Amino acid sequence: MLLSVAAAAFLSSCIREEAPNAECDILEVDAAWLSANRDIIIGTPQISNYAVAFLVAEGVDCAALEPQFVLTPGATITKNGTSIEGEKTIIHYTAHAEDCVWSKPYEVSFTPRSVLPRDFVFSFENYTLDNSNRYNVWYEVYGNGTQRGIWASGNAGFAFTGKGQKAEDFPSAANPSGVEGDCIKLTTRDTGSFGKLAGMPIAAGNIFIGEFQSANAMKKPLEATRFGLQIVPAKPLYLCGEYKYKAGEKFTDKKFQEVPGCRDTCAIYSVLFEVDPDSVVTLDGSNVKSSERIVLIAQLDNPGEPEEWTSFRIPFEYANGKSFSMERLLNNGYAITVVASSSKGGDFFEGAVGSTLFVDNLRIEWESDVE
Amino acid sequence: MKKTILVILAVITAVAASAQQSTSLNDTDKNLMWVAQRGWNIRLSAGVNIGGTSPLPLPREIRSINSYNPGLNLSLEGSVQRSFNNSRWGVLVGVRFERKGMTTDADTKNYHMEAWNTDGSGKVVGAWNGKVKTDVNCTYLTLPLLATYSIGERVMLSAGPYVSYLLDGEFSGQAYDGYIRDQNPTGERADVTRAEYDFGSDMNRWQWGVQAGCEYRAYTHLALFANLQWGVNSIFPDDYSAVTFALYPIYATFGFTYLF
Repeated sequence: MLLSVAAAAFLSSCIREEAPNAECDILEVDAAWLSANRDIIIGTPQISNYAVAFLVAEGVDCAALEPQFVLTPGATITKNGTSIEGEKTIIHYTAHAEDCVWSKPYEVSFTPRSVLPRDFVFSFENYTLDNSNRYNVWYEVYGNGTQRGIWASGNAGFAFTGKGQKAEDFPSAANPSGVEGDCIKLTTRDTGSFGKLAGMPIAAGNIFIGEFQSANAMKKPLEATRFGLQIVPAKPLYLCGEYKYKAGEKFTDKKFQEVPGCRDTCAIYSVLFEVDPDSVVTLDGSNVKSSERIVLIAQLDNPGEPEEWTSFRIPFEYANGKSFSMERLLNNGYAITVVASSSKGGDFFEGAVGSTLFVDNLRIEWESDVE
Repeated sequence: MKKTILVILAVITAVAASAQQSTSLNDTDKNLMWVAQRGWNIRLSAGVNIGGTSPLPLPREIRSINSYNPGLNLSLEGSVQRSFNNSRWGVLVGVRFERKGMTTDADTKNYHMEAWNTDGSGKVVGAWNGKVKTDVNCTYLTLPLLATYSIGERVMLSAGPYVSYLLDGEFSGQAYDGYIRDQNPTGERADVTRAEYDFGSDMNRWQWGVQAGCEYRAYTHLALFANLQWGVNSIFPDDYSAVTFALYPIYATFGFTYLF
């Protein structure tokens, strides 16, 4: 015992001087700056690994804004310039780590709040590669040519497994065989030895309106998928779109054990739910179908396995005995998400590797008579 | 582990059996005497190894060592030693069956890790920040070839190279309570509760190094000794990507030697 304490002390004496920080993150927006600009900034800024997105009131000139950030200790940030893209103002920065080795670009954007145009079709034609140039990310363009990154997927989580070398290897990928142009192809993937040791043997392909928090991807995967954005223009009536689906052969449980007699199925649904506009709490994988805040829900029942493109038009139905309130809508008190997944039980790592869902031309029909 | 204990028990039994036989003057004793008459001293040693399998120097990514447990690593050695023409110098060759192992728990910061998926489909690359628990247990068959130098009747110094063959190797552990950054320190961050790994099957079969020690002959037939063994090649192949720095086994052995 004494010997091991002595040995530990000896080893500790060999600990070398700490290296300077290699990380260079924007950790948060400076609270004082945020409160000084509360009349312009709406809600909480979205901070991701390479971007900070502010929603701003309409008609505000954002070019003069100088946001302040809290960075990784020792890191610095330099401003490279400002660009205007549609209604969006983007300030380009480079963050430099304390070690003077690592740096990364940041896009800080100010986008006027805008609801979805009523006739909008999600045709998945607009996509790009993520900052590491490996997987697809999708955006929509509406409101004077403004790019809006309303879609999220679990691709950033799958990236950790090392199994994705190119965009097609990822669970969620753009595909040229759309009804017209491109569509989105969602495939349930094997996550390999790394995924298994993290207790996540498969990754279902998914796409949803909201935000993917990769920080939670391994620790609390259900909380990584943050569903819903406040982009509701009216009461939704129908969720429409086209899909085709083929289930993988071997259905497995979360321990990657085969469940005989079980057949995988896909999920396509939309949920409208109440939010407090001053303090938005989204739904996540644990409550997206069960929250008491859900007002309307539309989901594709019995999708089957159509080999050809198949249209659907599913009505939104009330949940929790709630009704749609125009007053709440005008107060920005609703959020909506649309979700598609190649394995219905993918949130819980149940499904069949190889299950493939193609989705194109998603659309929501809204109530036209806004009082 | 179980296998190791069984082998150790078998060796002890064999030694005990041969010791029992020596009460009557049988063939074994005659052989021993024959060897002894030609100047070779026959020796049987038992001891424990205490040390670490460690990078040198400790990388800066290791920020603190929270716990260290040397475990119980037995070492059994049979050897012969002879002095040259009544000089102080001599030579010692032996066969040693030994275990080298330890358990450590360390805090790391920005620790670069790479690991291939077992099906070869891709490589996990990242920077780990958090705790790492490492469990090393290696059983070796070791052949030391040492020069000896006697000081008086009671003290003998020894030094020289050794070569070890890995009979059974375990190198496992877990990364826990921390986060990984994808690819490099600027990549996406994911918090991790616990991830376990096992690299035991990838260890080098051969391990060599140098050792030096001192022996004190307390009684006619019994000596106490202390040795330091310093491994000079890493326990993993040079191009091994899952552990990016060399890990050297550095162990001290304490024990006693029965001199026939």
